[in-house]
Amino acid sequence: MATAAPRRRRSLAAALRRYGWSYLFVLPTFSLFVVFTLLPVVQGLVLSLQNARVTGGEFIGLANFETLAADPVFVQAVGNTILYATVVVAAQITLALVVASLIQPLGTQAHVFYRALFYLPLVNSAILVAMVWRWIFNANPFGLANTALGVIGLGPFLWIGSSDQALIAVILSAVLTIPGGGVVLYSAAMGSLPRELYEAADLDGASWFSKWRHITVPLLRPTTLYLLVIYTILAFQLFERVYIMTNGGGPNNATITIVQLIYSTAFQFGRYGLASAMAVVLFVMALGVALVQFRSLRSDVEY
Amino acid sequence: MGRDVLINRRRFLQSMAAVGVVVACGPTATASPSPSVSASGSPAPKAVSIEWWRRNYAQGTQSAETITSDAAVKAYKDRASNVTIAIQGGPFGAETDQKFDIAILQAHNGPDVFHTTGGDVLKYAAAGQLSQPTLTDAERTDFNPSALKATTYKGTVVAYPLWIVPWFEYINLDLFKEAGVTPPTGGNWTYEEFLAAAKKLTFKRADGKQIYGLAHANDEFAFMLIDGGRPYDSTIKTWTFNSADAVSGLEKWVSLAQQKVMPPDFLTLNPNDSQARFLAGDVAILQRPSAMINILNADAKWKFGTNWDIANFPKAKGDQTAWGGVGFIAVREQSDADKKAAAHAFAKYLTGPDIGPDLKKQTPPVEYWLAPAGRKSAAGIYGDYHPAKAKVATMGAFTYVLPNVSTWSEIDQKYLRPARDAALEGKKTPKQALDEVAPQAQKLLDEANK
Repeated sequence: MATAAPRRRRSLAAALRRYGWSYLFVLPTFSLFVVFTLLPVVQGLVLSLQNARVTGGEFIGLANFETLAADPVFVQAVGNTILYATVVVAAQITLALVVASLIQPLGTQAHVFYRALFYLPLVNSAILVAMVWRWIFNANPFGLANTALGVIGLGPFLWIGSSDQALIAVILSAVLTIPGGGVVLYSAAMGSLPRELYEAADLDGASWFSKWRHITVPLLRPTTLYLLVIYTILAFQLFERVYIMTNGGGPNNATITIVQLIYSTAFQFGRYGLASAMAVVLFVMALGVALVQFRSLRSDVEY
Repeated sequence: MGRDVLINRRRFLQSMAAVGVVVACGPTATASPSPSVSASGSPAPKAVSIEWWRRNYAQGTQSAETITSDAAVKAYKDRASNVTIAIQGGPFGAETDQKFDIAILQAHNGPDVFHTTGGDVLKYAAAGQLSQPTLTDAERTDFNPSALKATTYKGTVVAYPLWIVPWFEYINLDLFKEAGVTPPTGGNWTYEEFLAAAKKLTFKRADGKQIYGLAHANDEFAFMLIDGGRPYDSTIKTWTFNSADAVSGLEKWVSLAQQKVMPPDFLTLNPNDSQARFLAGDVAILQRPSAMINILNADAKWKFGTNWDIANFPKAKGDQTAWGGVGFIAVREQSDADKKAAAHAFAKYLTGPDIGPDLKKQTPPVEYWLAPAGRKSAAGIYGDYHPAKAKVATMGAFTYVLPNVSTWSEIDQKYLRPARDAALEGKKTPKQALDEVAPQAQKLLDEANK
């Protein structure tokens, strides 16, 4: 034991002698990370404890967080964000898994075609996509959703024109979009699953659904975990869809989200401290959910 | 050349010295090329360079702000050749607002003179970053009193009112004719006449096309002022937008929603959407600011007096018949006295009666006043631009101008609009909705008054 520490020091020194120069290659990226990511996060934390405005601010402890707890608009924004994230993430992951499973048995060319087909819409501007959804869920009879539902005798609905339906319209706009990234990732992961498990299942007479349920889905847990975390963070960051579809909050703040409120609080009301406190709350929410997801879905399976 | 005109070097130097003495000590009949002496012998104005920050200015583009700003600088150069003005722009929006804030409030640098609106004036004044205009009594009485009040901080005028942006009702005369509705005489109507017209103007054509009586953008609250309700008391210390007059104003607005005279998505109609509905002929009455005149004039399909006209905001119990915002020209406080004086002189020119005629004389003529001027002496030229503008030139005098409160946008966006939406959707009574937001609004008002 007495010799363990000096040995560790010697091996560290040897490693630094041998690989030390390689840190130079990491330095540019690390510097950018520190300047543009780490420092703003730290600054955000500091600002959240101040009554910061553009002219500066003073330390006020946790007063910003107390203000947020008593602010009905912020509470509504948190509720809307959680509801949106829960429904949309669950729907997108399910949809991505189902679509990837459906295209998996197809031939290579069809495979490539469908992957590209589902992924291509992602290159569209999010703003343009949101504008199209705004038109689809327009409250007027000329809105596409109302026109389509009118054919089967339903509606017209107020959609984004009503505080009861606006958030539903925003959620539907996300749910009805096939998550191309998820389809590609699931598809790639399915391609690398060990064939022998399926062959063994075939010998046991397992049906297609049984194989999917008991082999494919469990083995995809690492991919599912990754998508779950990424999609949850993206859903928590919902902004442009709400901003464009419902003019940034909708009737009676029906679609207000945390990021929308951060934007208006910082850049329209000039309350940087309060906006930073909201960002901290959002960060803690995302971190908490990610930790729960990691704990519940982590898998020791390697293949 | 004769022999008598030849001079030697000594005589030449003597002559030069004599000329120097004359130039230095006495008046001269010839214009001096020297920048330090004027034709009258008094010191010529010192050369000064100032920066003007103008939102939506983008060099080389055809935006109204760019054209008028370039023309204004060119015209001013003819009046004050010693002043060089550089214009800096930026699109309307949060990024440009932040650029202004960082420059003016943090760096204490940036524009010498700038165009601003709303609560920004008070924000900059509270930070001690505005240089006070020196207005004569005549100038003071020349400005619209409500506009002047909107730029008063702790009893002192802190910026020059440029224009008032009043809201009017734009009416589609073809739809009025189709629905058998007589346009308001002289552009004036009561709320009851307005409501009756809007109801008649909401109809479905034989081909199934739905026409609506009224559209307005979702950032407006004019109807809440119609019975005399005002957001604050006269001292701007107490929130009064839950008074009986404000509640009855909101009730009148709710009646319009209940009668379904507005498109079903009226709660999410942004300004462009509402304009588009009017331009498409789907809406008979559009509530928009004076800038809508230019939009209609730019479209050959629309002919003033033939298929469109302007009417006042309907009148109820309240005195005022319109509402609107104010644009200001402000001068930044700084230690450079020359720059500050030049900035004030330019600000006075931008808001004064000379700029309109100056720009009209340019080739091609430029319309400077994008909205009715904030002072009487400059009002006339706006009316000269177009018959529609002539009609509204005097309407600005009736405009209720929202007093500047630095936290207004937060009060409005975060609390007032949702409350008003709840009432318009029928989820709350107007009184209940307005009473609920009053404590938060008062808190933010108190904060602004600190």
